Amino acid sequence: MLEPALTTPILPARRAASRLLSAFTLALVVGCGGASVSVPPVLPVPLVEKIPLTMGYHLSDELLGYVHEESLEDSGDWTIAFGSAQTTMFDNLLNGMFEAAVPVAGPEAAGPDVDGVLVPNIEEVQFSTPEQTRSDYFEVWVRYRMRLHGRDGALVGEWPLTAYGKANARNYGMNSREPALQAAALAAMRDAMAFFTVQFRTVPPVQTWLQAELAAPAAAPTGGASP
Amino acid sequence: MIPSARLPALVFAALLLPLLGGCVTATVQEVREADTGMESHESVVVLGRRTLPSNRETEFGFVSCVSKNMRGGGDGIQVIDEQRFRDAMFPWFEPRTAPANTSDLPEIINQPELAARLEELGLRYLVWIEGDTDRTDAGGSLTCSVTTAGAGCFGFLTWENDSSYEASVWDIRTGNSVGRISSDAVGTSYMPAVVVPLPFIARVRSSACNSMADQLKRFLTTES
Repeated sequence: MLEPALTTPILPARRAASRLLSAFTLALVVGCGGASVSVPPVLPVPLVEKIPLTMGYHLSDELLGYVHEESLEDSGDWTIAFGSAQTTMFDNLLNGMFEAAVPVAGPEAAGPDVDGVLVPNIEEVQFSTPEQTRSDYFEVWVRYRMRLHGRDGALVGEWPLTAYGKANARNYGMNSREPALQAAALAAMRDAMAFFTVQFRTVPPVQTWLQAELAAPAAAPTGGASP
Repeated sequence: MIPSARLPALVFAALLLPLLGGCVTATVQEVREADTGMESHESVVVLGRRTLPSNRETEFGFVSCVSKNMRGGGDGIQVIDEQRFRDAMFPWFEPRTAPANTSDLPEIINQPELAARLEELGLRYLVWIEGDTDRTDAGGSLTCSVTTAGAGCFGFLTWENDSSYEASVWDIRTGNSVGRISSDAVGTSYMPAVVVPLPFIARVRSSACNSMADQLKRFLTTES
């Protein structure tokens, strides 16, 4: 008669212990399995004196679908999707810097009201984890190549732009991999925007292009202003 | 194994005891370089330093704690959210572009677009916070085991945390530094465990935050 009374409370305890062990094992597995994040399209508009020109921008399918994938020997597979943030990034960036900014189908198909076309591309992405650097930080580097085309579609100039972002994993508590990596990637996007904003007018071919465009009394409506 | 009748009491104790803190010693120091004072429409922003090469960024939690505490209470002041400010002033307070010294400030605040935005925000003071909280010492050991018969821990852990933060206050109206406040706190936490671990946590960072926020509030609102 005593046996059922003794075993009844033990069964839930065994089940609880078993579940706890399963949860612990799962946590270990998930904790060692890298991370997969997408950069959120939450980016600000630069606050600068606007350049009185209309800038077109062409975002290639390659850029819009850009995903960095990497397998690390000790910590699994890592994925950072940058493409999802590119439209917001360049729309906000160029609308903040220029009187107007419009997406175009290509540098040669910009239309008569567009003074130039920016064609950005991501050339390389690198990242590091706290385990690799023995720090608290996730770090992300993104190297863009910016190409500026004139109103006739001809290449005005191109230049690299390297952006960097980091995020302190300690700000994100337990299971910080995904939010911290995402924050580092977002910080790199903000850095790219900040760098582009302050650098743009100092790039030599851009300076020449700006001087010519701003000196012109008005954009040629036929679109055939420059040879 | 723990008798099931005692489990609720132990769980209750385990939940209650963390509320009891370990010992914390906090010190605050202030250096005033100029007069301060705020009008009712003026506001402050508290920003963590995010300089690029540094691997000692101030935690978001500390910056938001100071902002929240400065807003609170009967003598609370208007404090702009850090992220809202960085977005509103983008890209001038990003790690790559943020002014390192007050000498860099005129270049930024004299731009008409930025001056107008600062006016719109009603910003009077910029507070830069540097520093962090580190674990400086740890000792003891604790072993936990889970078996089909139950789970339990045994041992004793102790660790010491050290918070060290400094706030530099810039007056946007004059473009000068008006003072610095440092807040340091040290505390030791304990965790004895006989079956159930009972943590006595020293809230070091929270103590440094409270001290700094109170001092900043007094510093900014007291005309001297």
